Amino acid sequence: MSGFPWLTAILLLPAAGALVLQLIPGRAADLIKGVTVVVAAAEVVLVAIVVYGVATTSAIGGGPLPMHYVEQANWIPAIGASYHLGVDGVSAWILALNAGVFLLGALVVPRRSTERLKLFCGLMLLAEAATTGVLISLDLLLFYVFWEGMLIPLYFLLAFYGNENRGRATLKFVIYTVAGSLLMLLAILYLHFQALAGGHNTFDLEVLLQNPLPAQAGVPLPFTTIQTLSPAMFAFLAFALAFAIKLPIVPFHTWLPDLYESAPAPALVFFAGVVSKMGAYGFIRFGITLFSGPVHQLQPLLVALALLSILYGAMMALSQTDLKRIVAYASISHLGFIALGIFSLNQNGIDGAVIQILNHGIIIAGLFLVVDVVEARTGTRDIRELGGLQKRMPWLYVFFLVITLGALGLPGTNGFVGEVTIMLGAFQYFWLLAVLAGLGVLIAAWYMLRMHQGMMHGPVRAVTEKVHDLRFREGLVLAPLAVLIVLLGVYPHPVGDVTAQAVPGYVTLADASQSPVAIPTAVRYGAVP
Amino acid sequence: MNALAALPLATATPGWHDLVGLLPELIVAGGFLALMLLDLVVPPARRTWLAVFSGAVLVGALAVSVWGWYDAGSAGRSVFFGAFAYDRLAEFANCVILVTTLLTVAISPGYLNRRRLHHGEYYSLLMAATVGMMLLAGATSLMVIFLAIELLSISLYILSGFSRQEERSQEAAVKYLLLGSFASAFLLFGMALVYGETGHTQLAQIAAAMSRSLPVDPLLVGGIILMFVGLAFKVSAAPFHAWTPDVYQGAPTSVTTFMSVATKVAAFIVIIRLFDDAFASYYSRWSAVVIAVAILSMVVGNLAALTQNSIKRMLAYSGIAQAGYILIGVAVGVGTPLGVQGALYYLAAYAFTNLGAFAVVTVMSGRGEDLDSYDHLRGLWHRRPYVAAALAFFLLSLAGFPFTAGFIGKFLVFAAAIQAHNVALALWGIGTSAVSVFYYLRVTLIMFQRPKEDAPAYEWPRTGWAGSAVLLVTAAGTLVLGVFVVLVLTVASMAQAGTLPGT
Repeated sequence: MSGFPWLTAILLLPAAGALVLQLIPGRAADLIKGVTVVVAAAEVVLVAIVVYGVATTSAIGGGPLPMHYVEQANWIPAIGASYHLGVDGVSAWILALNAGVFLLGALVVPRRSTERLKLFCGLMLLAEAATTGVLISLDLLLFYVFWEGMLIPLYFLLAFYGNENRGRATLKFVIYTVAGSLLMLLAILYLHFQALAGGHNTFDLEVLLQNPLPAQAGVPLPFTTIQTLSPAMFAFLAFALAFAIKLPIVPFHTWLPDLYESAPAPALVFFAGVVSKMGAYGFIRFGITLFSGPVHQLQPLLVALALLSILYGAMMALSQTDLKRIVAYASISHLGFIALGIFSLNQNGIDGAVIQILNHGIIIAGLFLVVDVVEARTGTRDIRELGGLQKRMPWLYVFFLVITLGALGLPGTNGFVGEVTIMLGAFQYFWLLAVLAGLGVLIAAWYMLRMHQGMMHGPVRAVTEKVHDLRFREGLVLAPLAVLIVLLGVYPHPVGDVTAQAVPGYVTLADASQSPVAIPTAVRYGAVP
Repeated sequence: MNALAALPLATATPGWHDLVGLLPELIVAGGFLALMLLDLVVPPARRTWLAVFSGAVLVGALAVSVWGWYDAGSAGRSVFFGAFAYDRLAEFANCVILVTTLLTVAISPGYLNRRRLHHGEYYSLLMAATVGMMLLAGATSLMVIFLAIELLSISLYILSGFSRQEERSQEAAVKYLLLGSFASAFLLFGMALVYGETGHTQLAQIAAAMSRSLPVDPLLVGGIILMFVGLAFKVSAAPFHAWTPDVYQGAPTSVTTFMSVATKVAAFIVIIRLFDDAFASYYSRWSAVVIAVAILSMVVGNLAALTQNSIKRMLAYSGIAQAGYILIGVAVGVGTPLGVQGALYYLAAYAFTNLGAFAVVTVMSGRGEDLDSYDHLRGLWHRRPYVAAALAFFLLSLAGFPFTAGFIGKFLVFAAAIQAHNVALALWGIGTSAVSVFYYLRVTLIMFQRPKEDAPAYEWPRTGWAGSAVLLVTAAGTLVLGVFVVLVLTVASMAQAGTLPGT
């Protein structure tokens, strides 16, 4: 790669933007928002360059996971922590999603009605820097710092802005995640000292992957002869808990509906679109690679929980009447699909999971944007009070239809591509899984169409009587999402090819038991509408 | 063992080299005496000049301490016949203590003027306490340890009762005095036992005698544990913490700022010197006690902080919990260099962070009384955004979030615990940290809430340039220690390596 530190640049640009914002007087709302949007757009350009580089050049590094744009420097030499950055086919598109969704979030910040706009925009930019850091860190300690650091701006965004229940919901979320990630810190320290005992003073992912944990027996419980789980298993569980809470997988999801309900739209778009994907990314990058033994032992449990998330989320979405809660539970269901793909531990499953991370990010951002527009116009999110928006808001109807179809996984939309690839992976692991997951898709069609009909069709109600259609700017935000949903549905190669070049490394590390079945590209990507 | 045992004790007289070892302490002690005299000539309206003079003295002592860091070298040397260590650990502690005092002095005039407490004795007492702390950090003889503790304690007893018109302050002083004397008695009794069993007051010789006295001497173990009790009181570790909330709340906030940080630093340095160095050969006998106190402090401090509604009391309980985290480093510090390094890093991090948090309370205190209830903080974010942001940052650091000093401190002591195969201790730390997030973040939420309609409006005072500078320095320190770890970790490891007496 060229000498320019691209990854440091994409990491620091949003943080620098947040600093620049502090120089602007608080009254200049237009300028504050303008700078935020410009920084977000510049970030999209930089990330696009990086993704293009990943797609067009071959990875460097002889490690188990070849990386692009690698940067390495000492950080805390005494304990071997380093500033090690890199990007590969798995993280490249998630980075793009991150930058893209964030730009949308910045565009929809209501600059007149947001209290302390400068603080809000600054926190958004810091959150973007932190999520970027999570995606490009190849050092476990550095990863942890960004992972946990991400919570700080998110906490303030969600705790300071949003509806009146936000305080409780946010504290619940933060304490949940902190408890999970502190255990992960312990596991990281365990890995470090295991490596140190083997002569490597390091937190570096690549070195740790080359020196896998030895298979150890369980630890005896004090005062008994009972053997507990092995240390490696404990370490995996600590990682898995942190990722499962963030994703979230049922039964660690209870923070999500309350938080989504109380969050302000720009933060929510970002949160639902990107932050929840960090759990999935963590499982792929760290969970299944560092702990192939424990992962295989626990695979039945993990896929069962993923399946539970799909079905439970879908059933709950079906029974809600609040638009945000419907989308929140739908999100749990869709994230269950991603988890299912990952835990299938084969090429198709992981491939599909990465594709679906991108696709779901686009879809969920669209759904929340639509919900936000509707709530702003009508003052309600109750599906029973809405109706007839089709007649009043024809443009919204078109965009929402595309997003709905993507969410229910209609062939020809990007949702189908991801889900079908995941189902192929699940099928390869155990056919019944794919059948049950298919049930989740069926229910998805039900609740998405119920939501769509409830809002759009039927007679015009009191609250929808005087609403006006999308403004040009709002349409400008929704249009790219709708275009991407269709485009990635009929032509998914750019995503799939980049992903497919990196995933075999992960599959090898996870030591998948089945060899991936060669599937014709057309079927694999569902290019047949 | 080192060369100290061979020193001819009776004939030698202290020379120039011995005085060099005490130079920073001597400068501050000179400042203390000069301040008492200056107070007589400076008119009451100009007492801020006393603060300026104190600041100049402290900066001078700080410069000498930094020079001393290099002069003492990595080996360090013993001065005054083994009574005092001129080593990097002492100079490290001096720097932290002096910076703390300097920042306290900077926020004091504004606060004292508002509270109508601006008397000249304040600065001389602050200096006396500082000398006591610096002496404590360098002490390697039981006698010097005791004298230094008394010097700092007596100064602090007076300072806690400095607001003479206020009952709460008087109550704090009496409580601190009574319980403090009790703790000193424990310490002294423990010292008597250690002296009785080893026949020495110098730590180097005690350490030598201890390693000879194996198998274990029960009276010696008793003495060590009693000494720990006395010192645990000074660092306000549970179950010896009962005084902390009342004294922290009752004392004038600038005094609380000072003693919550500097006392802890000095007392922890001597704990490290005693337990991780001099008493290292008895590690297996005292470690269980230290671990139990560490766990208890983390649990009691964090749980009690949950229910507080005064920020001073909350920070007091949080300080108890922080003492528990630092004790983790002490408890595993004998076999693991990372333990002591982590504890030292934690101390530096804690100094900046806690000082910053209390400085916010100090500069936001109103006329006549301290505004320390959570209700008084409501809406701060809207009226004083930078001060509120600073407090939020310090609270995040205390909670141990990344990009703050508190995270690295916690990380290092947990890492040390795991390296010492004491995963349970790290788990206790992690569990209580997760709990602590709740009460730290709750304060940040309250600051963003709009004041209640019927609540009286509080006019927060202007921060002033000195207050702003202190907040800026502490926030910068917290950030730098949280990101550029190498700087202070190197210093901490050098301080840990260059500790006298080496056993």
